[in-house]
Amino acid sequence: MADVVELAGIRKSYDHFVAVDDLSFVIRAGSVYGLLGPNGAGKTSTIRMMIGITMPDDGEVRLFGEKFHRSQLGRVGYLPEERGLYKRMKVLDHLVFLGRLHGLSEHEARRRSLAWCKRLQLEEWAHKKVEELSKGMQQKIQFAAALLHEPDLIIMDEPFAGLDPANALTLKDILIELKKSGKTILFSTHRMDQVERLCDAICLIDHGRALLEGDLAKIKASYGKNHVQMQYDGDPRLEECPLVQSINNYGNYVEVRLKPGADAQQLLRLATERARISRFELLEPSLEEIFIEQVGNHA
Amino acid sequence: MHNVWTLVQREYLERVRSRSFVIFTLLMPALMAASVLIPEKLAEMNSGGEQQIVIVANDPQLAVAVGKQLGKPRPKSALYGGEANRAPVVYTIQVDTDTSEAEGDRLRQQVSDGRITGVLWLTNDALAQHEVTYSTREAADFSQSVDLQIAVATAVTRRQLEQKGISGAEAEAMLTPIDLNTVRIEKGKEGASGTTVFITAFAMVMLLYGVVMIYGMAVMRSVIEEKSTRILEVLLSSVTSKELLAGKILGVGAVGLTQILVWVLFAALFSVPGLLVAKSFLGELHIPVMGMVAFAVFFLLGYLLYSSMYAAIGSMVNTEHEAQQMQWPAMLPIVFAVFLMNVPIQHPSSTISFWLSMIPFFAPILMLVRILIEQPPLWQIVLCIAIMLATIYGLLGLSSRIYRVGILMYGKRPTLPEIRRWLKYAG
Repeated sequence: MADVVELAGIRKSYDHFVAVDDLSFVIRAGSVYGLLGPNGAGKTSTIRMMIGITMPDDGEVRLFGEKFHRSQLGRVGYLPEERGLYKRMKVLDHLVFLGRLHGLSEHEARRRSLAWCKRLQLEEWAHKKVEELSKGMQQKIQFAAALLHEPDLIIMDEPFAGLDPANALTLKDILIELKKSGKTILFSTHRMDQVERLCDAICLIDHGRALLEGDLAKIKASYGKNHVQMQYDGDPRLEECPLVQSINNYGNYVEVRLKPGADAQQLLRLATERARISRFELLEPSLEEIFIEQVGNHA
Repeated sequence: MHNVWTLVQREYLERVRSRSFVIFTLLMPALMAASVLIPEKLAEMNSGGEQQIVIVANDPQLAVAVGKQLGKPRPKSALYGGEANRAPVVYTIQVDTDTSEAEGDRLRQQVSDGRITGVLWLTNDALAQHEVTYSTREAADFSQSVDLQIAVATAVTRRQLEQKGISGAEAEAMLTPIDLNTVRIEKGKEGASGTTVFITAFAMVMLLYGVVMIYGMAVMRSVIEEKSTRILEVLLSSVTSKELLAGKILGVGAVGLTQILVWVLFAALFSVPGLLVAKSFLGELHIPVMGMVAFAVFFLLGYLLYSSMYAAIGSMVNTEHEAQQMQWPAMLPIVFAVFLMNVPIQHPSSTISFWLSMIPFFAPILMLVRILIEQPPLWQIVLCIAIMLATIYGLLGLSSRIYRVGILMYGKRPTLPEIRRWLKYAG
């Protein structure tokens, strides 16, 4: 299948501040893509250029295999990080209004809005004003609004922020279902645990530049199994060991990151000389560790 | 276009359905009617009834003549109009020939006690000085002093005529006052009176000023609301900032036109019975069709001009409080235009009036005044509208650039150099 999003060398600067610098990546159809990065890394700026809210100073944005043009927006659903609703509008009217802006007829927008209200257990709130709803309910409405027109590409900026666990679960289930039905999902977040479980591919950006890009499994594999978890009795005194890059000591349990090229077997031998080892496991790094390492290196 | 229509619809319906719109739309005509009717009713209540006046005079005949004159209906033009619906005053006259100081004190005490309404001191001395005093407990009633002045002047003149041998019908003919009607020439024909035109022009211009300001600010507040509720980015994923701006300005403008239409209907309903039953203030309002059309045109032009500035200001700030400090560029010109209104009112076709009314920021007020007072040549109106349209086009372009960047900017208020850079980004 074709790539749904292609960014080729896009760049955006505001005065002297470069928000996005020569960024390129592709998102395959039907995949879940994570756009990661610390706050202020350029995630929102990148998304804005992807859907024509702002124009890149340089580079090209292609959606669904064609150069970006506004008529493609009918196939895109966007849930911004900074999101809100008209407080004094009625919930149903509001959904219908947003549906119509996405090109639905009034009748169709109403039918789908009611279906979404039902699915999100907000039926009895459909004729209430937005301001009467709790924050979580408003977020569910915004979520529905982004999906009303059944977009092929769903872009969500920090979709889980501020949701309670129950609502987050509902949302996650819907996203998984959308993925199964062949939709492409891009979401931006700085919560690595969600990305690790949901995403097929990622792009980690900082200061507007891509630090890592590609298939999540491949990225993790490229780091190799250089993480060791060890349980022991005694004191292996690994802190001064030349094989160790960093260490997280919990008393009789340690997490160790090896120096590049270091041999884990050598570490095990060293440890057994000094302490009784009850468990020794070699692992891939977690995405969180990769994130911290990458962002830390470039800070 | 479809998007703009959806945006206009939402803006319009949400506003027109709101309680505040309904209340304001209905309350305004009620307030206007009350402000006209209540003082009038009060004046009627005051003016009617019986007035007991003692005339102190050395010459009882003159006093009687003044009393007789007071009993006659007053000439209709006398100094100010709209008197026809006043309840007639019945004067009870007592003549007192005792001009002594003691009698004066006694009469003053009676006035003070409220036993008589007033005392007219028509002594020979006063007449010789051409200055007559009327003492009364009530605050000066303009209408009554006019009555008295006319009565005294007429009676004194009649006596002087008699002394010169002119009396009867001959004197009566000479004493009949001459009314002055100011008539305005409109397209070679006589139109409504000058005063009426002035009052109408003033009322319409103030109404235009009011609605342009109210709806200009409504646009600004609405932009700020969209910024602060953070809905803008949701909208921007399906519409352009230009469509948003157009939808907002057109939607709010349509609400303004609706309100004006409702008010005009009220005014019509109110003034028709007003014309039939009693010539009330509103009945006197003479609103020519041309004036109505001009009002609608200049409301729209003025609204578009000012609301595009207000939209830009709204997009630059985060709160209404900040907006208050930023809105002077949009407020100053129209307030200034109202101050300048006197120029075209007094000399509608002077060179200075012409040039002032060609300045697009003043034109909604000043050209409207000129059209209402004395219709300027058609080419001037056309030129003025063309200048305004060109300015609106330019301003909308500028505003939409500021708006486009501003609506995505939160935090600190931009400085002037920053706004200049915004214009550059948006290009």
